Amino acid sequence: MKKSCKNFVLAATSAAILAGVAGSAQAANWLFLQGTERPGAAPRAKVWGFIQPEYQSTVDTKLKAGPWKGQKAVFNQSRPQLKTSSSFNVLRARIGVRGVAMPLDSNVNYFFLAEFGNNGITAGGGGAVKLTDASVTFNHMKGARIRIGQFKTPGSEEGLQAIHVFDYINFSNATNGLLLERFFNSDGSTQVGANKPNGSVSAFRDIGIQMFETFKVNNWEHSYAIMVGNGNGINRNDNNDNKELYAYWSSELVYGGKGPRRQGMKLFAWYQDGQRTLAAGPSQTVQNFDRMRSGLGFTYRKGKHRAAAEYINADGMIFTGTDGAALPGAVSNNGALTASWNMATKGKADGWYVHYGFAPTPKWEIDFRYDVYNRLTNSTLGERKFDTATLGLQYFFNKKTRVTINYEFRNADAPGYAGSSPVNQILDSLDDRVSFNVLAIF
Amino acid sequence: MKQIISRIMAVMLAVGLFAGMTQQAAAEKAFAEKKIVLQISDPNPFKQTLVLNVANNLIKYYGMDRVEIEIVAFGPGLRLLFEENANASRIQGLVDSGVRLSACKNTIRNMGKKLGHPPALNKNAVKVSAGIVRIIELIDKGYVLVKP
Repeated sequence: MKKSCKNFVLAATSAAILAGVAGSAQAANWLFLQGTERPGAAPRAKVWGFIQPEYQSTVDTKLKAGPWKGQKAVFNQSRPQLKTSSSFNVLRARIGVRGVAMPLDSNVNYFFLAEFGNNGITAGGGGAVKLTDASVTFNHMKGARIRIGQFKTPGSEEGLQAIHVFDYINFSNATNGLLLERFFNSDGSTQVGANKPNGSVSAFRDIGIQMFETFKVNNWEHSYAIMVGNGNGINRNDNNDNKELYAYWSSELVYGGKGPRRQGMKLFAWYQDGQRTLAAGPSQTVQNFDRMRSGLGFTYRKGKHRAAAEYINADGMIFTGTDGAALPGAVSNNGALTASWNMATKGKADGWYVHYGFAPTPKWEIDFRYDVYNRLTNSTLGERKFDTATLGLQYFFNKKTRVTINYEFRNADAPGYAGSSPVNQILDSLDDRVSFNVLAIF
Repeated sequence: MKQIISRIMAVMLAVGLFAGMTQQAAAEKAFAEKKIVLQISDPNPFKQTLVLNVANNLIKYYGMDRVEIEIVAFGPGLRLLFEENANASRIQGLVDSGVRLSACKNTIRNMGKKLGHPPALNKNAVKVSAGIVRIIELIDKGYVLVKP
């Protein structure tokens, strides 16, 4: 906890310095958009939601080397079942209610959202419908609003932003690998079973309590959030006594507009720290392991131009995919091994992305993103580098309905090995990916 | 000396008369061609936006000196005149253009019972004994009632 406090102070100081030096800001205030309602002008219950069918495809290149050579590669399969390389899917289908329970009292508002789609939230077992958000916000203390329940944690822009305004179909590699947390009972170091996730992915959410506020100074909005959560995913209670600590700061120069597509420029920094409990090592001893994430970045939106960049740093537990990049549960060609999901319990990683979008007309938007993820930078032989260039096209039928097409040029390599090594041959099996989805908000 | 005192009194009288005329002009526009009372009594927040839009459009069309507008809020619609209302800056803009705001005392009293205290109102709102009575009074004075 001492370490957590020290790190928190460092992060908060860094954020404060950054905010003081930078002088820019964001395109949308997610803390307020998701956690509050318009005072005196909010309904008792507003029903809303969105539907997001998609199609994803790769050419399904088989593993080129290793114990599972010739078998399906996990990274070429469609989420979340990983059984085919091309599939239609209703990725997200959410419906929710939000508002002020008593319209006369704007000091208390609520947010409720459930997921009916087929994704990492619902595919983890326990039912086809899962709660994603259920929170109550108390606005009595200006300067220290309180939100309690299950909701998005104050952190990375890619995770914190409303998913229905996300410009791409898949997350960047670093966000997917480091922030979209999977929870396991074991680190997967023993070859017993597939070591499948023990529940939903985090969906960038946690259960806990958050203090937050936005301070307006002329055209600037300065926001902070501090949160304490379980750090054990959604729809279940904690599995250890260590709580997750989150800190967030943003400063935004607002150009105009309102809502999630408000025009502005934002600088932000965030930090989270906690521990995870799982069985690790040859003896599979249950232990606690540190998990720290931090990041900083900016977003920009004005007129026809949109841009964003973010750097993400990780220390502690790192999700490392499956053995030999085979499907989880797949038996090796010699019958001796079973591929499982793995976690490095003490690792380091970092990554970043840059994004630029141009909307020549209100109907069309062209997007480009380049992202890099360096996994296990503390290990010469364990390090993997993923980089992806994504070309995107969006067509807006109206403000609530759009179609998105993405083509991802994907590449991965192991810098600690020769290019011709089996490890790099396996990584060479990674295909480009084409995908499209439709989004309808109601 | 008497002459100086009488001159000072004359100036003071003139200033007083002018000030009185100015106040009267603010309350009733001398050149107003149209008089509109906008009723808001609906709980739907979208109606708030609609009422403000209508007031704004009337001012744009007729000009702020040619139209008199009073927004009368009662029932659930009184939330529009809450001090904390998210539309406060828009409301202030309309007030600056001469729009008057009336808040129903009956509603304030009833809301006060539910809240445990009277709701804090927009500083420009004038309390009237009953919103519906105020509307009838204005209609009798030649106002046209519009309920967006």
